[in-house]
Amino acid sequence: MKKLFFVLFLTGFVFQASAQTEESEDRAGIWLPFQLLPNLTSYSSSPLSGFGFEWEFTPLLYTFGMNKQISPWYSFIVEPTARFTGSIEIVLAGQVFTTKMGRSYFSASGHIMGTIPLIERGEHLTLNLGVGAYRIADRTRIFKVAGISTLFGIVHFNFKHAGNPTAWISSLEFRIF
Amino acid sequence: MIPSFIRCFAGSPIRCLVSSLPPWLVVSLFLLNSGCSGYIQRMVVGSLERMGDPVAPAPKMITTPILDNPPLAVSWVGHATVLFQIRDKVFITDPLFTDYIGMVVKRYIGPGLDPSLLSRVDFTLISHIHFDHFSFGSLDMLPKNGALVIPLGLLRYTPDFGFRGLKELKPWESFENDGVRVTAVPVQHFSGRYGIDNAWLNQKGYTGYVIEYGGTTVFVGGDTGYHPELFKEIGSRFRIDVAMLPIAPGSLTSLGGRVHVGPPGAVAIMQDLGASYMVPMHHRTMFYGSDSNPTAAIDQLRSLAGEMGLSDRIIGLDIGEQRVLHLNQNGRISAQP
Repeated sequence: MKKLFFVLFLTGFVFQASAQTEESEDRAGIWLPFQLLPNLTSYSSSPLSGFGFEWEFTPLLYTFGMNKQISPWYSFIVEPTARFTGSIEIVLAGQVFTTKMGRSYFSASGHIMGTIPLIERGEHLTLNLGVGAYRIADRTRIFKVAGISTLFGIVHFNFKHAGNPTAWISSLEFRIF
Repeated sequence: MIPSFIRCFAGSPIRCLVSSLPPWLVVSLFLLNSGCSGYIQRMVVGSLERMGDPVAPAPKMITTPILDNPPLAVSWVGHATVLFQIRDKVFITDPLFTDYIGMVVKRYIGPGLDPSLLSRVDFTLISHIHFDHFSFGSLDMLPKNGALVIPLGLLRYTPDFGFRGLKELKPWESFENDGVRVTAVPVQHFSGRYGIDNAWLNQKGYTGYVIEYGGTTVFVGGDTGYHPELFKEIGSRFRIDVAMLPIAPGSLTSLGGRVHVGPPGAVAIMQDLGASYMVPMHHRTMFYGSDSNPTAAIDQLRSLAGEMGLSDRIIGLDIGEQRVLHLNQNGRISAQP
């Protein structure tokens, strides 16, 4: 898992470097503070349930809904249009869950997410489908993901499910570029 | 990276923060702000108050949008959407056919054109990145047999609509296609579509256009504030027959603010451009947050034009109204029958 994260990080940085423009310094400087805003998430399973925060980023995204004059590949800074017009992306995230017993769990996840535009090319509504691996409490579990995004691709509601034993993760995500 | 944000913040903290925040947060902060005085806030609140009201039908409907080789035909569809035809070439500006703009702002009056009546559009001109001028749902309703022309900065915001051509123009850049010359000209507005992108798009993402074809020249203003030198510069480079200019939501009594003009500002732009005629637009269609009377801007323009002796140079169209202009003895466009 750690090796996979490292490879994805490296891949993302390579793509980001190849997409450097004269305005990229400003873009990154303005973009970065907003990535610190956490998503709200909850984990529900037996015996571990909790509420938490999540920070996620996209090392790599391929859009199939944008015009053909630009590269379909994005890394880290992703214009909402590129995502909601139809895309597939790798999402990496870290979470901290706090249980009602007061103990905190740190976890990490990797997803492959697909975004399908539904209304106004996805600017008003998209369907999100994907699959993700969570590493929680020293155990890796695979979750199926389904959800929607709205408000120009900024607000996402995603639900994630794993079986045997059943576990649910729901998240309210803010993807600001 | 971080230093640029600090520099931005140190220069103008409020502007930096507001331009950097996502639109949903800006709107929320505006709504939380007491006094209900913000322009966006009043526009959003005005739309929310009318959420359940039906959109009124346009007073007129354009039934024959494409004519047989007119010298110049101009139809106002509503807001900044103007369909015009120079001889055999058909143009549309900032197409807006949807009831809602940016999900929350609602139009008062429906469009004066059913887009399915358009068999072709040779050039679709987008003036800037804002939702009311670059409407994805509306672009999907247009025929795709022409070119989509966008200002510098919009390429990364443009889905694959399927237009036959896609051209991004920077200020003063021109391109020619089938005898039509389209030049992007600078105007004074602001950028940003999703909040923080305003901070890095900054001077990109908005433009005006000058269209030249068959000896006729048309200026498309999009959305702009008044600038004392900018329009004189454009006027010195082109001999403009007709200027399509916004007349709201700027001041009714002064030249207007930095990014919008009202009637006095629009008249000043027309004079700076040296345009023979003005087609006022960008008014009446929705609540613009400056005046609750939807006809205030056009009423004031007519009054002002009367005082200044310019009435015969203002081609004031109703939504859904079409006007054919003719050539005079000198081969220039004339509104006289």
